[in-house]
Amino acid sequence: MRIKPYHLALALVGLVLGVLLSVQFRVTKETLKTPQIYRVQAVGEKISDARSNRDKKQDQINNMRADLDKLAAGVELGVLREELIRSRIEAGLSGVTGPGIEVTLNDSNAVVKPGENPNLYVLHDEDILKVLNELRAAGAEALAINNQRILATSEIRCTGPTILINRNQRLTPPFIISAIGSQDNLSNSLKMRGGVIETLEFWGIQVSIKKVSQVNIPALSGNISFDYARPNTEEQ
Amino acid sequence: MSKKSMYLSISIITMILGIMLAIQFRTARFIEQSVPADRAQELVAELSKLEKDNIKLDGEIEDLGYKLQQAKKGQSQAQAAILDELKKARMMAGIITVSGTGIEVVLDNPSSPSRRTSISIIRDEDLLRVANDLKGAGAEAISINGYRLISTSEIRQAGSFINVNLNRIEPPFHILAIGNPEKLRSSLEISGGLVDYFRDLGIVVKTQTVNSVTVPGYGNNLQYRYAKAVKG
Repeated sequence: MRIKPYHLALALVGLVLGVLLSVQFRVTKETLKTPQIYRVQAVGEKISDARSNRDKKQDQINNMRADLDKLAAGVELGVLREELIRSRIEAGLSGVTGPGIEVTLNDSNAVVKPGENPNLYVLHDEDILKVLNELRAAGAEALAINNQRILATSEIRCTGPTILINRNQRLTPPFIISAIGSQDNLSNSLKMRGGVIETLEFWGIQVSIKKVSQVNIPALSGNISFDYARPNTEEQ
Repeated sequence: MSKKSMYLSISIITMILGIMLAIQFRTARFIEQSVPADRAQELVAELSKLEKDNIKLDGEIEDLGYKLQQAKKGQSQAQAAILDELKKARMMAGIITVSGTGIEVVLDNPSSPSRRTSISIIRDEDLLRVANDLKGAGAEAISINGYRLISTSEIRQAGSFINVNLNRIEPPFHILAIGNPEKLRSSLEISGGLVDYFRDLGIVVKTQTVNSVTVPGYGNNLQYRYAKAVKG
């Protein structure tokens, strides 16, 4: 067989390909081994394990509570039973359902002009705090953001584009705030002239309010514990 | 070299090329998606919170298991178990008075009228932010001028007054919080934090860690006209 020019060309292509291939493999392997990414992945896996573990335990607790209620159903408790139901709602131990509204908040889609601070057009923790506060003032009976129950001790904190609530539960936009209460009161309180919505819309933040006949708000996932506060002994 | 074998070798080469291209794309995407270093810190914080939660939930399961066992024994035991559940729920709901270590924050308008400007008048959002920072620092119970903040408590400007739990409050505002005193204080006093901000506005701020604060329970009745409890 005679060596023709295209054989040479093929050999060259083959050589280049081979080199490329080996570089490729090494880069891919190294990317996976970069400590940063490796750590993030490892922690991420652990988090999803811990989370499913928690959800399982939470389910078990809910079932045990229901069982206990059943066992005590025949016991004479009178008004205390009503109080237990109400306290559990307020404590976030039981999920709630009822008429209400859903408020959806999303970052501004306005085009930032050169020289302008893009921060002005981004949703901040303060904006969400104000919306929540307004809803509370309008008589909201239960609140949640992106299905995370809001309790007496729930903080709302901005960390970059995400928001942290209930100690390190990370939420990302769009933020959907659900509130149970009088639909008219709740939506009017937000739409009021000079109210929260008007201010937010000035910055181009997208707000929409939807009346929902049945808002479902879950119980708190996780647990409240008191490490510092103790009940006063004289009143129990 | 026959035409056949040439085609074969070319098709093999193109195949390899295709696979490489695919790997290349995936790697490039992976690098783009991969998170910056500070995400690792957030994730670790989330994990530690989940692990703590799980330990507490284990405690809760144990407690409920014991109560279930007791409740099966008879009426009086069942009653005791359910009363204890009620006590727990009331504590979490913020209905009962609690004490513990914590912090006292006093906010007031400037005392001399000459230094009182429109920006130094304390507004609802100032108190809202103090409460939020304290919650972020792990406050377990907070009250403002004697009114306990529960999940549905509003802090809202109503004319020149501020309403908390539908009660009108006036300055000076005494905010009490129970929790780790140092953490609570530093959450407010961190440089560039709220205390700095208030001082710049001319608002008078005092923070003081206290060995024992008493935060009153929510005084009003809990009433639900719209919300109904569901299991879980």
